Amino acid sequence: MRLVVDLNRCQGFAQCAFLAPDVFVLHGGEALLFTSRFDEGLRDQVEQAAAACPVQAVLVDFSDEPAKGAEGHVG
Amino acid sequence: MALGTMSAQITDFSNRADPYPLYAALRKSPVTRQDDGSYLVSTYYEVRSLANDPRLSNDLRNRAPGAGGPAVAEEDTNLPPSFLFHDPPEHDRLRNTTMRPFGPPHSPRFLHDMRDDIARIITDLLDALDGKDEVDVVEDFAYPLPVTAICRILGVPREDEPRFHGWADIVASVLDPSQGKEKVQDARRELGAYLSDLIEAKRRHPGSGILGPLAQETGPNGSMSTAELASTSMLLLIAGHETTVNLISNATLTLLRHPDILKRFQTEPGLVVPLVEEVLRYEPPVQFIPFTVALSDIDIAGTTIPKGAQVWLLLASANRDPKRFEDPDRFDPDREDNQHLGFYTGIHYCFGAPLARMEAQLALPHLFRRIKNPRLMADPPPYRANPVLRGPRHLPVAIDGLAA
Repeated sequence: MRLVVDLNRCQGFAQCAFLAPDVFVLHGGEALLFTSRFDEGLRDQVEQAAAACPVQAVLVDFSDEPAKGAEGHVG
Repeated sequence: MALGTMSAQITDFSNRADPYPLYAALRKSPVTRQDDGSYLVSTYYEVRSLANDPRLSNDLRNRAPGAGGPAVAEEDTNLPPSFLFHDPPEHDRLRNTTMRPFGPPHSPRFLHDMRDDIARIITDLLDALDGKDEVDVVEDFAYPLPVTAICRILGVPREDEPRFHGWADIVASVLDPSQGKEKVQDARRELGAYLSDLIEAKRRHPGSGILGPLAQETGPNGSMSTAELASTSMLLLIAGHETTVNLISNATLTLLRHPDILKRFQTEPGLVVPLVEEVLRYEPPVQFIPFTVALSDIDIAGTTIPKGAQVWLLLASANRDPKRFEDPDRFDPDREDNQHLGFYTGIHYCFGAPLARMEAQLALPHLFRRIKNPRLMADPPPYRANPVLRGPRHLPVAIDGLAA
């Protein structure tokens, strides 16, 4: 499972860093670091973060998850 | 419908249960001038643009002398304005200081680590419903949860929590442009005095919650005064309270009005994540921001809003704008690209949004797993008077008991 943040959209609302602190880390006021590959155990956190982004900048691809088949999902 | 009376109609209690036809009428023109000189902004792109416009001020001191418009919040001589009613740079200083113990970058795990505490509050509230065949989802569940949560966030001693419930109720009506001020002023004074004492105590013994570390900021080299911290605490209490009550109540009501979605939710609890976002679009707990002021003439959508005018940003209307949301009056948790304005946008984006989301995302699956065969007993339910922080006063629901 992979994710990417569209940094052209990102406006630093930091909602992802609240809801998925194991995946998204804010450095200083604005710089956002994130783990682009994540495990099943962090799936809930990532889904919450993607849904919460006010500008929908967190794009998630669950396609390598067997249970869900090959359906791509853009958060 | 006379446009000059639109704001009066929006605040009129008889329109509380369903204000959406009024918003639809308003959206025929993005910006509408009222007879009192205030302006209503009703469409998505215009609301979003103005919410991000530095020429629009949240500082009430910028209102032109004798400017029209409704009574506004926080007209209080005892405490300085909170960051909601400040512009940069003061806004940024106060908000950033408050953020230090609450969220990233300094405290990225503070809220995340409160999940279990909040889940326990929810379980306790639901356990107490055992043996009932009728529950008031507002009174029994949605109302006590956020005030307990905000007390834990701030670090209010448990024994003081009941007093907080009372103050919160009265002080929250300050955002209601139709309400009288005397009772509110009294409650604010009492609460302000209590908070100042609590900050003093926290300076010596920080304990849990954000007030401990924030009290350390009120020293000679700190970044806020004790009065500013008391004012900030009051803001967090008000803003974190009734809004979350409404989010949970509005979500419950909306689910009970959409049995097909409810049925799906009961077998698919993960649906709560997009469902909460859709409630924030469809029935936002904060309907509009009635207190911003134009700092200079602003040209928008063919209208010039003159310097000094009071501007209402109608978030609930923007969220139903068909130019932005397809089939906007349909409640659809599968809606894609749901960039709703339920938490506002720009620098005043809801400070407590992550907490509200966490509370709602925990509360709703627990509630609908436990209550058996819920049926709405009144539709529409009775509403609170407040048109800004809009939500049911009671939400009576018949149930066939409680699941373990």
